[in-house]
Amino acid sequence: MSEAQVTKSPTVVVRDPGHTAMQLHDVAVSFNGRVAVRDATFDVAKNRVTSLIGPSGSGKTTLLRALNRLHDLTPGAKVSGRIVLEGTDIYRGDMTVTELRTRVGMVFQRPNPFPTMSIYDNVVSGLRFNGIKKKSLLDEAAETSLRSAALWDSVESRLKVAASNLSGGEQQRLCIARALAMDPEVLLMDEPTSALDPIATLKIEELMTTLKERVTIVIVTHNMQQAARISDDCAFLLMGEDRAGELIEFDTTEKIFNNPNDSRTLDYTLGRFG
Amino acid sequence: MAEFSSATTSRSWYHYLLLTACVLFGAVSVGFVGSIIQKSLPTWLHHSTTLIGGGGWQSPSGPFGGLAMIVGTLETSLIALVIAVVIGLGTAISIVFFIPRRLRNIVATFVELLAAVPSIVYGLWGFLVLAPFMYSTIDPWLNSWPFAREIWGDPSQQYGPSLFLAAIVLGVMILPTFVAISREVISVVPDDLIEASLSLGATRWQVIRKVVLPTARIGLFGATFLALARATGETVAVALIAGGVAKVQWHMLNPGTSIASWIATEFGEAQGNEVSALMALGVLLMLLSFSLSLVSRWLVSRQRKLLARV
Repeated sequence: MSEAQVTKSPTVVVRDPGHTAMQLHDVAVSFNGRVAVRDATFDVAKNRVTSLIGPSGSGKTTLLRALNRLHDLTPGAKVSGRIVLEGTDIYRGDMTVTELRTRVGMVFQRPNPFPTMSIYDNVVSGLRFNGIKKKSLLDEAAETSLRSAALWDSVESRLKVAASNLSGGEQQRLCIARALAMDPEVLLMDEPTSALDPIATLKIEELMTTLKERVTIVIVTHNMQQAARISDDCAFLLMGEDRAGELIEFDTTEKIFNNPNDSRTLDYTLGRFG
Repeated sequence: MAEFSSATTSRSWYHYLLLTACVLFGAVSVGFVGSIIQKSLPTWLHHSTTLIGGGGWQSPSGPFGGLAMIVGTLETSLIALVIAVVIGLGTAISIVFFIPRRLRNIVATFVELLAAVPSIVYGLWGFLVLAPFMYSTIDPWLNSWPFAREIWGDPSQQYGPSLFLAAIVLGVMILPTFVAISREVISVVPDDLIEASLSLGATRWQVIRKVVLPTARIGLFGATFLALARATGETVAVALIAGGVAKVQWHMLNPGTSIASWIATEFGEAQGNEVSALMALGVLLMLLSFSLSLVSRWLVSRQRKLLARV
């Protein structure tokens, strides 16, 4: 019997609920009965960066998308277990899906500004979806979020220009600004730098470390150096024998990378597979 | 070495065959367009204002005025387009977003099959089914509107076939074309744009109105122009049901005609100057469809560029 099989249940760092942004309890996602990820139990700590790492097929993105109910769109998708945002179960509790999504924002793998909108319109699009029309409010939100996304100085003079004129890195920061404009509590980032060059990647990483002061970040990354550099906590997922992803270990990033409990975590972080 | 040389020979043999085909095609095209223009030349040189601005068509001696056909073509096509776009856009959006996935492909295939039905079938349906129904039920109702005479025309001139009937049948006929293309255009709007807007708290309706339709906008215009091109060139269906009266007709329940259907009904008896005048109408129709299809191609390529940046 290998050491790996002994540590069945993942280590979970339990925190004071006041410091927790989201709690995941035994979360599983399946598509038409086929389990894609399961056994996810951990707390996402407030004002920290939590990274989800693991090889392809381990269910990182699937798990992330459960956190703002994006699977609702997919016929046959089922999310079980409990995901709690500030005391409310996001699937069963008294919270509409649109409210959830204004509180839990998302940034995607490929920069995806709305191609028919200007930079300004992109940033305030979420506010407009939610019925805010007052120009002074929109202007203020646009400036604040663009500043937070470290984009204000380079776009201040061309806010009415189509967003597609920006470089890839700038487009991704625009998407971050667009999400920040909603003033979310949690920001989900699905491999946000995988389509970017190293310099643009570095800028986004720097941004994340300052952003966590105002928003809790959950990031999926396939890049272990990135996870080590920017995240405070780390969830390691792996594909099981039945091809379903499962949580192997959750702990502080330092522990995961230096002294993990599970040998499979060590093998992965050392680059022995994946 | 032998293998290599035989491969070269067969390639050059092919090469010449293909080149010949190409030259033949070029010759046929030039001959086709050239002879139509040449035949129509007398009309363009001596009676161009009558053809474009004149009202009557007196066989066999002339004058041959094309205004009734031009106006009739525009009237029927534009009303048809309004019908097709209003119903078609709703249908296309429903197919992409609201119909359950399994049913979706069936409906989409059915729509594409309808788009391939030859127009004579639509014309026949218009003549045998819709025309009697319009005449007995819809027309009396339309004629009971206030200002009916000003809008729809003098009831004593109405006997079933009309520009309005032609427009409705054209609308029904181009509807599947419009739905098929706009469904395609709408469904290629990238998922991540839809997900981005949902993640900002947009409702499904907002996603469609504020993100999907604006992103698909240019392609939808392209679909509109392709549908319009099909309507303007339609011959048989209109010939059956428009009434075939060469008179500029602003009252839509009165009989009228269109360029294509007029050519189809008149060419058999035509001689001399009338042949040239019909050829000139043909040139007009050709120019119209060239420009519509150029515009729609341009729109489609712009839509591709827009999505390529995403």
